Amino acid sequence: MTTTANPPELARIDEWLRNALEGAPTSGRSGAQAATWSDGQVEAILETPLSPDRFSQVLSMASRYGPRGPLAPSERMVAAAEGLVPGWNPERWTALEALRVRLIVAQARSDAEGLPAAIEEAFRYADEGELCALYRSLQFLPGPERFVWQAQEGCRTNMKTVFEANGCDSAFPAAHFDDVAWRQLCIKMLFVEAPLWRVSGFDSRVDDELARMALDLAEERRSAGRRIYPELWMCLGTTADPRALEAIESELSGSDELSRKAAILALGRMGNTERLSEIERDGGSLFGQIAQWALMGRHAADAFASVSPPEGAEPSTFDSPSIDTPA
Amino acid sequence: MSDFRFFDPHAHMTSRTTDDYERMSAAGVRGLIEPAFWLGQPRTNVGSFVDYFSSLVGWERFRASQFGIQHFCAIGLNSKEANDEGLAKDVFEILPRFALKEGVVAIGEIGYDEITEAEEKAYQWQLEFAREHDMVVMVHSPHRDKKRGIRRSLDVAKEIGIDMQKLIIDHNNEETVKDVLDAGAWSAFTIYPHTKMGSQRMVDLTKEYGAERFIVDSSCDWGVSDPLSVPKTAKMMIEQGVPEEDVRRATYQNAVDAYGQSGQIDFEALEAKPSIDQRQLFHDNSVLRGQEAQVSDEVPN
Repeated sequence: MTTTANPPELARIDEWLRNALEGAPTSGRSGAQAATWSDGQVEAILETPLSPDRFSQVLSMASRYGPRGPLAPSERMVAAAEGLVPGWNPERWTALEALRVRLIVAQARSDAEGLPAAIEEAFRYADEGELCALYRSLQFLPGPERFVWQAQEGCRTNMKTVFEANGCDSAFPAAHFDDVAWRQLCIKMLFVEAPLWRVSGFDSRVDDELARMALDLAEERRSAGRRIYPELWMCLGTTADPRALEAIESELSGSDELSRKAAILALGRMGNTERLSEIERDGGSLFGQIAQWALMGRHAADAFASVSPPEGAEPSTFDSPSIDTPA
Repeated sequence: MSDFRFFDPHAHMTSRTTDDYERMSAAGVRGLIEPAFWLGQPRTNVGSFVDYFSSLVGWERFRASQFGIQHFCAIGLNSKEANDEGLAKDVFEILPRFALKEGVVAIGEIGYDEITEAEEKAYQWQLEFAREHDMVVMVHSPHRDKKRGIRRSLDVAKEIGIDMQKLIIDHNNEETVKDVLDAGAWSAFTIYPHTKMGSQRMVDLTKEYGAERFIVDSSCDWGVSDPLSVPKTAKMMIEQGVPEEDVRRATYQNAVDAYGQSGQIDFEALEAKPSIDQRQLFHDNSVLRGQEAQVSDEVPN
C-alpha cells in the first residue's frame, strides 16, 4: 500500500472546482424549470456549515438547481488537477458532479470532525448521481482511512456508472485499498468491461497474486469458449513465468486483433525484447508497429486505452459460449 | 403504428423482469414512471422504506437505462400502509430525503384505500408537502367505494390548495371520469387484464370524451398485469378509428406534459430515439470482440 505524502489542500481543490465550473460549457435542460442557483447562492451555501441532514438534502437539490452537461475541463486544467492530486483525472466529470464535490469539500473544511457522520448519512440516502459524486470526492477528504470501508463498498455495486466513478480516475483506490480489495477492484473491472487502464496508479500495484488471478480468469474464459478481455494482459506486469508466456503466446496465435495488440504490450511490460523484436520484424504493419512501440517503452497502463471497451458500453448480456457440436 | 412512442406513467418495475424491459423497449416505450407503493404485504420498519425509495432512484433507474428506457419515479407513502400510524410517522421523517431528488416527478402514489382517518391524515400531510415544494401529485383511487374515494381525494386536494393542473387521479373508470375532468385534474386509467379497465373500454371512453387530460398506464406490478398495456391499447384505438392525435395524447404526450411540470423530464432526450449501440465508441472499430456485439441502430417501434 502506498501512502500519499501530504493530504490535498482543500482550499486549492475548491479553487480548481470553482474555476472549472466557470469554464464549463453552459448547457440548459430543455423543458426543465429555469430556476438555477446563482453564483451568490452557491457561495452562500458553501459558506454555511450544514448539519448532516441538511448536507445530504443540498447534495440532492443540486440536481434541481445546478448545472448540466459535461465539465469538460481544458487540458491545462486537467494537468493542474494531476498536479494537485496525482491520480485524479477529471476529464470525464459532469458539471453537476463538480458542484456536488465542491459541496462535499466545503463540508470537509467547515466540520472536519463531523465529516464521517455527514458522509455516511449522504451515502445512505444517495441516488445514482449522488453516489458517483460522493465516490469521486473521497480522494480529497482528510483522514482517508475513515472512508476506506465505504470505497470498498463501492466496488460491490451493481451500477456500472457508480463502480467506475469509484474505481476510475481517482487517487483513492491505489493509495488506500488493501490487497484483497485492490485485486477485487481490478479483476471486477475486467468482468464488467470497465476500463482497467483508467484505474489510477495501476502499474504501481501489480503483483504476482494479481497476475495469478488474471491467468486463472484467462483459463476460465478459454475453457468456456469466451473471449479474453484484452486489458486482462495488463495484470501480468513484469512476471515472466512460463505460465504467463504460454498464455500470451496462445493469445498471439489467435485471431482477435485487440487481444493480440494487448498481448504484445504485455510482452513489453515483461521486458521480453527478444520476442518483441521478432514480432517487430515479422508482424506486418499493424502488429510490427505495436511491437516497436512496446520496445520503445510505450506499454504503461494508458497504452491499453486502445484495446479497452468503448466508453459507456454495458457488459454484453448475451455473452454465450460457442458450442462445438460433437463429431 | 411504427412511428409511435409511448410513455407509461405508472409501472412498478421492481416487480418485473428484464424480459419485460426488453419487450417494453421493443414496443416503443421510451420512458416510464415508477410510483412508490406497497409490496403486497406490509413493511414492518422504516428501514424497508429507505431501501425501497433508494432502489427507485438508484438500481431500478440504472436497470431501465440498460434497455434504452428513461426511468422516473414518484415518492410517497401509500394508502394501505398509512394505516400503520407509528410507521407512517417514521416514513414522513425520511420521505423529504428522497422526494426532492433528481428524476422524482411527483409525490405518489398517495390517497385512499379504505378511506380511514389515518389515510386521510397521511394524504393531507403529503399534499401539504407537495404544495410547499410545488410538486405534481399522483393519486391512487380505492378499489372499494371508488366514486366516493375519488370525490374526496379531489376535495381534500382542493382544500389544501393543490393546483388541479398538477393533480393526476389514477385508476379511473366510466363512473368516475366526469368528476375528475370537471375538477380540472388529469384522469388516468389503468389497463389491467382482469380488473380495473380493459383496453376495449378505454377505446370506447376515448371515443366518447376525446383525449384531453386522459392518461393511459399499465400499473404493472407483482400481480396479474401487463407491461405492454399502453402500446396494446394504442393499437386497438388506432384499429377502431380513434384519431391518431388522440392516441398520441393519451399514451404519451399528456403524461409527459402533466409530469413534465416537475422540471425533471428532458423532453428532447425523450423524443430522441435511444440507441443501444456498443460499437459506436469503440476506439478501434475494425474488430469487434469474439462474441457478437449487441447492436441495434434504434429501439424498434
